Amino acid sequence: MYSDYAYLIVALPILAFVLTIFLGWHLPKGGGFFTVLATFAGFILSFGILREIYPTNIIVHQSTHWFANFNVGILIDPLAIVMLLMVTFVCTMIHTYALGYMDGDPGLARYFAEAGLFTAAMLGLVYADNLLQLFIFWELVGLCSYLLIGFWYRKPSAASAAKKAFLVTRVGDVMFLAGIVLLYTNMMRIGLPEGTYVLQFQTIYDNLVNIPPDQLTWIALLLFGGAVGKSGQFPLHVWLPDAMEGPTTVSAMIHAATMVTAGVYLVARMFPLFYAAPHALTVVALIGAFTALFAATMGIVMFDIKRVLAYSTVSQLGYMMAGLGVGAAVGAGAVGVGMFHLIGHSFFKALLFLCAGSVIHAVGTNDMREMGGVLKSMKWTSLTMLAGSLTLVGFPLTTGFFSKEEIIVKAFEYGTLGNGWLPYIFVLVAVLLTAIYTFRLWFLTFDGEPRSDYHKHESPWVMLGPLVILALFALFMGVGLNVGQDENPFYTYVGNNFDHYGVDFEELAVVGGHQVVHEAEAHGESGESHGIFHTIIHLLPIVFGVGGILIAALFYSRWKRFDSSMITTERDPLRHLLLKRYYQNEIYTLWFAEKVVYGLSLLFNMIDLKVVDGTVNKISELLVGFGGSVRKLQTGMIQNYITAIVLGLAVLLILIQLTIMEVAI
Amino acid sequence: MVPLVLYVLLASAMFTIGLYGLMTQRNGIKLMMCVEILLNSANINLVAFSSYLPNQNGQVFALFSIALAAAEAGVGFAILITLYRLYGTIELDNINSLRW
Amino acid sequence: MISNAISLMIAIPLIAAVVALFAGKAAKYVALIGSLVPLVISLQMFQAFENKANVMQFVESYDWVPSIGVKYTVGVDGIGLPLVLLSTIVSVMVVIYSWGESKRANQFFALLLLNEVGILGVFTALDFFLFYIYWEVVLLPMFFLIGVWGGPRKDYAAIKFFIYTHVASLIMLLSIFALYFSYSASTGVRTFDMLTLIQATGDSAIFSPMLMNVLFFGLLFGFLVKMPAVPFHTWLPDAHVEAPTAGSVLLAALLLKMGGYGLFRIIVPMLPNVSDKYIILMAIIGVVSIVYGGFLALAQKDLKKMVAYSSVSHMGFVLLGAGAFTWLSVQGAMFQQFSHGLITCVLFMSAGTIQHTAGTRVIAELGGLADRMPKFTVLMLAGFMASLGLPGMCGFVAEVSVLAGAYEPLPIYVLIVIFGSIVVTAGYHLWAMQKVMFGPILKKYLDLKDPHSYELLSMSILIVLIIYFGVQPALVTDIMGVAADQVMGPVMTLEQMGVI
Repeated sequence: MYSDYAYLIVALPILAFVLTIFLGWHLPKGGGFFTVLATFAGFILSFGILREIYPTNIIVHQSTHWFANFNVGILIDPLAIVMLLMVTFVCTMIHTYALGYMDGDPGLARYFAEAGLFTAAMLGLVYADNLLQLFIFWELVGLCSYLLIGFWYRKPSAASAAKKAFLVTRVGDVMFLAGIVLLYTNMMRIGLPEGTYVLQFQTIYDNLVNIPPDQLTWIALLLFGGAVGKSGQFPLHVWLPDAMEGPTTVSAMIHAATMVTAGVYLVARMFPLFYAAPHALTVVALIGAFTALFAATMGIVMFDIKRVLAYSTVSQLGYMMAGLGVGAAVGAGAVGVGMFHLIGHSFFKALLFLCAGSVIHAVGTNDMREMGGVLKSMKWTSLTMLAGSLTLVGFPLTTGFFSKEEIIVKAFEYGTLGNGWLPYIFVLVAVLLTAIYTFRLWFLTFDGEPRSDYHKHESPWVMLGPLVILALFALFMGVGLNVGQDENPFYTYVGNNFDHYGVDFEELAVVGGHQVVHEAEAHGESGESHGIFHTIIHLLPIVFGVGGILIAALFYSRWKRFDSSMITTERDPLRHLLLKRYYQNEIYTLWFAEKVVYGLSLLFNMIDLKVVDGTVNKISELLVGFGGSVRKLQTGMIQNYITAIVLGLAVLLILIQLTIMEVAI
Repeated sequence: MVPLVLYVLLASAMFTIGLYGLMTQRNGIKLMMCVEILLNSANINLVAFSSYLPNQNGQVFALFSIALAAAEAGVGFAILITLYRLYGTIELDNINSLRW
Repeated sequence: MISNAISLMIAIPLIAAVVALFAGKAAKYVALIGSLVPLVISLQMFQAFENKANVMQFVESYDWVPSIGVKYTVGVDGIGLPLVLLSTIVSVMVVIYSWGESKRANQFFALLLLNEVGILGVFTALDFFLFYIYWEVVLLPMFFLIGVWGGPRKDYAAIKFFIYTHVASLIMLLSIFALYFSYSASTGVRTFDMLTLIQATGDSAIFSPMLMNVLFFGLLFGFLVKMPAVPFHTWLPDAHVEAPTAGSVLLAALLLKMGGYGLFRIIVPMLPNVSDKYIILMAIIGVVSIVYGGFLALAQKDLKKMVAYSSVSHMGFVLLGAGAFTWLSVQGAMFQQFSHGLITCVLFMSAGTIQHTAGTRVIAELGGLADRMPKFTVLMLAGFMASLGLPGMCGFVAEVSVLAGAYEPLPIYVLIVIFGSIVVTAGYHLWAMQKVMFGPILKKYLDLKDPHSYELLSMSILIVLIIYFGVQPALVTDIMGVAADQVMGPVMTLEQMGVI
């Protein structure tokens, strides 16, 4: 029953967008409640659909013709439904919070209109039933990101950051598009019945074995390129920290909870293809794990509170990618693992950003060096942020603990099955760094004494309510799901997503060249560890996490024993490297964009003006010049004309004579 | 009878002289005189051939030609007089404004 | 009435043009009526058009000069109908946008209407002689529009435009004569009928391969210059920059499509009969236009010149799609013509509005205009997003169709386009937006306001259409799909279709 109205999940936010754009200027709070209500309605609908399809094998699928040989449709399977629930719920929280946070901004109606459009686009992406449709909404989400990052468009840094975000993700999108084109061509080559929509996910899953494996690898890597751009993986992560120019609610919504997760969602949605493509998942795992570590290294030196959280997001997205990537060894269950971290992360990262927003609102600056002692004046904010920080670090029994732990353990299994230890090492070290930068942030902001003069008041309840709700989820969702079950039902439900389509992973494993877990077991090997080894592997992340908290406490909290000057000095090159963010800005913007690309365009311009147009002008000069020479024949002097007449006459007579004599001329 | 060839030679010589004069002379009146020479060379040819042929067509044409030559000379001199009034000279080298 | 729809549709603007000349101040009303009526007629034709039938519709055929085989034959099919619709829509929009034109208004509007006459004629003529007449007729109003109402270098631009495209047309004419004379020499029948001659090119007894290759090049050259394709594109930036906004819009939205139309009507059906090298040639020129045009746009300092080069870049897709010769790519190329026609109107209208409100088109001198012109900013942003191929608007549908369809025969070319131009295209559009619209407002522009309502109205209607066709392209792509089958299959003459 609810499934019949599935289209409303996207249609209602679009309606909110239209209403807000035209009427919002005249309404209180800029018409923001249209957006809040529309998103909440989407949540109710999603919940209703969940009740209808869980835990059975039912999926919702509706489709209609669009143009040429493409269709539009709705596909709601376990993977999609958890995303729908998360997006609608978290966005409802964020929109509610924004009613308070953005109050007073002259562009309020514009904000809520764009936020509504964004919500619609994200939801459309989630339940798209074919790859082209997913790409379309992917780009629309990018558009909204551009509009919202540049929301305060009069600020040149904001306008510039928006442009950078769009262009960097465009680089990823270009690869995504190439992947789609390649996939389309390969699917058409199979020769499916006329009228089949070749980019529908079901159709793709069914026909993976008919595509040559090397093509599959190219397709997978190109699609992953798109995910790298959208989800801020190395090397296309550079736009995310700059995107913090936008309002904090935008950072929470787009750059923590939803848009950036689209890349992970894409890999999850196309997991069978990645699995069947040799080496593809290995690349995913490596890049993901590397990003997790790489971003964490930059997070520990930033002073801007939002930038720390931005790098944290990049790092955690790396975790999710790694979680999916180790599926090369672990099998389809990796989808469940990666997605669980995605869902959990959305809750607590949104929470962290909203708390940061609260603090920024009160203190008036993003710079942590001017904060401190906020605990005294903003109890609720501090505590909810503590909850978020604990779960980010993976403190035992928080949601983050369950999700991160799984990824690290699976990374270990990946290693033992002979695929390489890098992912495991990277993610494990990253745990330590994560704990350090997270609690550095918490202590610098909330602990100790205020380092500058700022307003000391707590935020209104319209802002605190969402914080508390999100904090509860962050702390207890993991426990709540696991209590009384052998295995987290999330893993069973989402992990077995592809069973609904009849995807045979064993068959694909052969194509992809994987040594699957149970195949290895048959040979007497196993990824899972036993006994004391098992305990150590499970304890290590906890040790690293708690250890990181302690280190941060020792450096930054009221129990401070060490100072950062003990490790590094002003002129330390490593410090410089990190602060300068590995010179990426220099390389990407200053060198590549401005010198290489722009230089090339200037060169082409010169060629066009001088050579191409020059040729045209030369031709015309030649002709005009020729005309100029020829007209000199008109001397105006009768003698010359008479001479010409005589000569012409002579030639004529000779010709006639020759013709008469029948000589061939 | 005088051989026809001699008349034709005379006519050719006159033609050449007239043509040469036409191509090289600058003075307008001299040009007119050369044109007359050209015409008269053709007349000589006509008359000479006609005297060697049974009919008188050539001589009739010669009479026509003389009349036409006179008319043309009249027009030509009228143009020369107008030119003189405009340019003050009839050195045709200097009258070349109808040029590029 | 409906059977003579085409002639009526062409005659009315012609009459209106003459009336407008004498109408003085009321010329704009005459022009509005004179362009709205053809719009209504074309919409009715669209309604009455049978999508699935593979034949010419609304055909009229009268003898004109029988001794040399010239007939007045007109008709539309899937290739021409969307372009006819585009022409009528754009003509109305241009009239609305230019509502405030005061310099020699009567002549101005008369020239706009004459343009419409010529364009509609090109898209419907089915006799080569008639086609060529209309082809040349289009040049004259544009020449005068540029030469009288244009910018500082208008004389150079007008003459360059006229002579360049005219020379190309003459070469095309030579090929047309080659077709005519070869056909009449072999069969004894003298006719300029387009479909008959094109069909006959498949007969190698009449047209030897060498003859075919040569005359194909002549025809192709004429269309390439018109499109314009690199390296024959250099007339475009000058013509566009110096032309008045209405002239630029007509030039970009309609005149460039003449080249594409010729491509689909004449060139593509002949492709099976000529050397394979031509496909490579078309593909190379297409890709070079797309990539080179994109980079050039990035280097421009003048907003209007940037938009002009973006037109070069977008029309490259048409060439690529046509050359790839697959159902999806040909359909995509046809749709790209339609879509670009709508989008480029908005772009040039934006440039024109900025010119007359801020007084300059130099990007470096502008800044922060969004502060004072919010409504206009929304429209300009929408237009720019459409131009860079944002999904949800028609440009994306066209580009993805061309790329997906062309990959099978021309993989490297498609990859070069994807990796070499899409990001650059987004780059120059966004950079221009950022510099011109966003950021703090410069002091000299504090007095600016939103432009006149008629300018906003024409742009809004176009944006609505762009989004509408982006969401529901099937309205026109269905017709184009049938047309694509038609041009890739054997050519049928009017008699064979049964419509004469």
